[in-house]
This record gives sequence, structure tokens and C-alpha cells, in this order.
Amino acid sequence: MTGIASLVTAMIWIAIRPDLLATYHYNQYIIAVTHLFVLGWLCSVIMGAMYQLVPVALETKLHSETLARWHFVLHTVGFAGMVAMFWVWNMKQVGHFGSVFGFGVILFAYNLTRTLARIPRWNVVAFGISSALFWLVMTMLAGLFLASAKCWPKINPLDPIASMHAHAHLGVLGFFVMMLVAVSYKLIPMFTLSEVQSSRRALTSIVLLNVGLLGLAITILFGSVWKLAFALVTVAGLVCFSIEVLAILRARKRAVLDWGLKQFLVALALLAPLSALAIVLCWPGLPLTALTAQLETVYGVLALLGVLSFAIVGMLHKIIPFLVWYSSYSKQIGRAKVPSLSELYSERLQVISFVLLMLGLAGVTLSATFSHERAVQASCVVLLLGLGAFALNVAKILSHLFRPRLAPLAGPKLVVSP
Amino acid sequence: MNTPLVAQNLVLRTLRQVNDPELDCNIVDLGLIYDIQIEGTKVRVVMTLTTPGCPMHESIRWGVHNVLLSLEGVEEVDVDIVWDPPWNPAMMTPAGRERTGVLF
Repeated sequence: MTGIASLVTAMIWIAIRPDLLATYHYNQYIIAVTHLFVLGWLCSVIMGAMYQLVPVALETKLHSETLARWHFVLHTVGFAGMVAMFWVWNMKQVGHFGSVFGFGVILFAYNLTRTLARIPRWNVVAFGISSALFWLVMTMLAGLFLASAKCWPKINPLDPIASMHAHAHLGVLGFFVMMLVAVSYKLIPMFTLSEVQSSRRALTSIVLLNVGLLGLAITILFGSVWKLAFALVTVAGLVCFSIEVLAILRARKRAVLDWGLKQFLVALALLAPLSALAIVLCWPGLPLTALTAQLETVYGVLALLGVLSFAIVGMLHKIIPFLVWYSSYSKQIGRAKVPSLSELYSERLQVISFVLLMLGLAGVTLSATFSHERAVQASCVVLLLGLGAFALNVAKILSHLFRPRLAPLAGPKLVVSP
Repeated sequence: MNTPLVAQNLVLRTLRQVNDPELDCNIVDLGLIYDIQIEGTKVRVVMTLTTPGCPMHESIRWGVHNVLLSLEGVEEVDVDIVWDPPWNPAMMTPAGRERTGVLF
């Protein structure tokens, strides 16, 4: 809920201030909105889902629910304070709230590391998740260092925009994309009745992403021409990942894919234009013009609003019905006729939401490319309508918490007795 | 040896009332039931799930437990979930394949 509230707030914010996407992205307001989007929306939902998913995916139990609750408190106070302080550009307070957020990250990473330590079989999913946790801690430390450098500029002799870009890549590629790749190797086979076709290929994708990101972070930071080489290594990791996903889908036993999974797969497909744009933007000698500056914004929009948000919304179509079903019906199964997961939501609303979100995303990327404020605004309204359809579906699902739909069992009755 | 107080085919028919909520198909047609042993008033079901780490693990186990306890002549139910042999779609009945749209 915290995540969805942050997403809606961020989208309304951009609809009111479309100049944030239509002008260069190094200013306090877009940094505030970006942190609301990344920490409030993406982090809240992904971290919450990981507490649920990691124990299930890796057949173990969460180390501590108490730590998870404390993390939620620190996370919410931390990111809300950071966003407010970025907006008024009080970097000292950004550092303070960032430390609160960072302490929450440490609790999260510790809790999941202890959880991973007790899994029965170490596999590619666990390797990917542990890599993502490592990069999350690195991102947080880099962020705190950048906030400190704003207060004491002498501690960071490097270009502040390059430092910000390195910090962003650590977070987006290291934590979010790495997590997306890792959980895909569990979720896609599980939902399509398939299995990973080549563990070696899957492992290679994670290794290449780790090597590529390490090199990218350093070369971005120092403005090196080797940036392109490491971008290509990263893209090679994503190509391995894509080949494996296609192989998993080809081997699937379940013919029909539901809309939640389709949206998740569309998000993965958006990695292709994102990678192409990344290669263009790190091409040696690329001149900094108004267009290339805006393409950097589009690159961020495509990653955060396209790949990651679409993947999350797609998975929420699967996770929310499951959580509600579990709460309302898991004790009733075998005692009464309970609805299936697909009966909890409206497929029509899923399609409407998906189409509106796709149109909105296309609109925002195009209008941001050409710095057209009114078009950015209109596209944000379309995105908000898509989120509205999604919210209606969520409300429909949540209604089962308050009014469970149970019916008597229709099978054989008690007919045999001694 | 105790005489079964409930017929095996009735147990199987009763288990058809337990659905996997994700696949929207009953666990018998999904081919999840490996063995049913009946001794007196005790029923032991050996079964599997479609994937290790299935989030519906406990729900389905309880569903089997609950539905069999509703049968007259059944006082105790043991549900053993095993992973060997691992489930595969070839274990589904034709009705199960049709219901889930599974290719095989």
C-alpha cells in the first residue's frame, strides 16, 4: 500500500509539474520525485514482496519478522524524510533521513542474508538475490557518500553528475534488474509449468551482470571511454537472460498465459530498447546536446516506469490475489467451495489497465524526448487512468477479505459407514 | 489388518473437491495424488505438488485433510507430501489437461 500510494503521488506530481521530465534531470525537484518513485514505490513493493517470495522460492523460512517490521518503519520514515528534504534541498537533513533509511537497508540485507544462509540448495536464484543485496548496500552507501559530499564538497573530487549516474546504475541495475532476473528464473517456470533449460546460461547471465555493473560504475564515475565495453558486457548478460527466458517459454506446458504474466514479459521485452539506448548514450564522443540530454531522462523513464514498474504491476496481478486468497480461503479449502485465484479479479480491467499504461509510457517517453510539457502532462493523465483501472481491480480483490465468497462443496457426500 | 471403513474410490472422488487455486483444477485430475492407504478409520494420502516451494503448499495439505475428515468412517488423516517422483504434466488426466490448457 505504501508503494502504490508513492506511485500515485509521484505520477500526480509529474502531471502537475511536467517540466520535471521535459527539462534536464539534474535539479532538486526531479531528484525528489525520483527518490519518491524509486524508494517509495519500487523499493517498498520489491522489499515487501521479497519477504514473502524469498522463503517460498528458496524453500526456507524468513529469519525474523520482527526485523522486517522495524525495517518497514525505518524505510518509511527514511524515504519520506529524504523526499521532503530533497525538495527543499536541505542536504544535511537528506543525510540524516538517508541514514535512517540506510539502517533499514542494513536490517533488510541482514535478515535476508540469514534467510539465504539456511536454504537447503544453493542455486542461480539464490546467487542472483545475494548479488542484488550486495549492490543494494553499495547503492545506499554511495547515496550517503553523495549526500555527505554536498555538505563537504572536498571529500568528492569527482564530477557530481557522473557520481549521481554511478549511484543510479548501482541501484537500478544492481538491485532492481538483478532481482528481476533472479526471480524470473523461479517465477516464470512456476507460472508456466516449465523449468530452467540451462542452469549454466542462467548463471552466466548473473555473472555478466555483476562484472558489467562493477565496470560500469567505475567507468561512469571516472568518465572513461571503457564505459561502452562494460555496457556491452552488461547487455550480453541481458541477452543470455532473454535467451533463457525464451527457452523456458518454449518448453512450457501451460499454453495460455494470464495478463499478469504477459505484462511481466512485456516489461522484460522493454529491456531491449533500454539496452539499445544505453549503448547509444555511452558511445565515446557522443556530443551533449539538448536531445542527448533528454535521452538520458528517457533512459531513466524507460527503466523505472517501463521495465521495473511494468514488471511489478504484472507480478502484483499475481501476488495480491494470492495474498488475499490465502488470508480469506486457505482455511476453508476442503470445507467449502472456494474461488480460484482468477475468479478474484477482472481480466477486462487488467487489459484496460495494461493498454492505458502502455499508451502512457509511449507518450511520456516520446514527449520527454522532445521536451513537450503538455504532452508529458497528457501522458501522465493516461498513466493515472491506467493506475485507476489497476486500483479498481485491487479493490475488487480486497473485497474478498471483507466478504468471502464461499459455497457448499458439490462432491460426494458421506455414504459409506461400517 | 484393520478393515477399511471407507471405499478408496470414494476417497478419490472426495479429493476432486480440492482445487489448486492457481491452476483452477482439482488435485486428482492434476495427477498430484500418488497413493491412498486406508486402514480402519485412518486414511493416508501420499501426494505431491506441481513445484517445490509451491506457495499453496500448506493450503492444499489442509484442504486434503479437511475434506477427508468430512467423510463418515474417517477419523484420522495423514497427508504426506513427497517430491520423488517429481510431478510432471504427463501425470495429469485428459480432463485435467483440458481444464488447464496444458500442452503435452
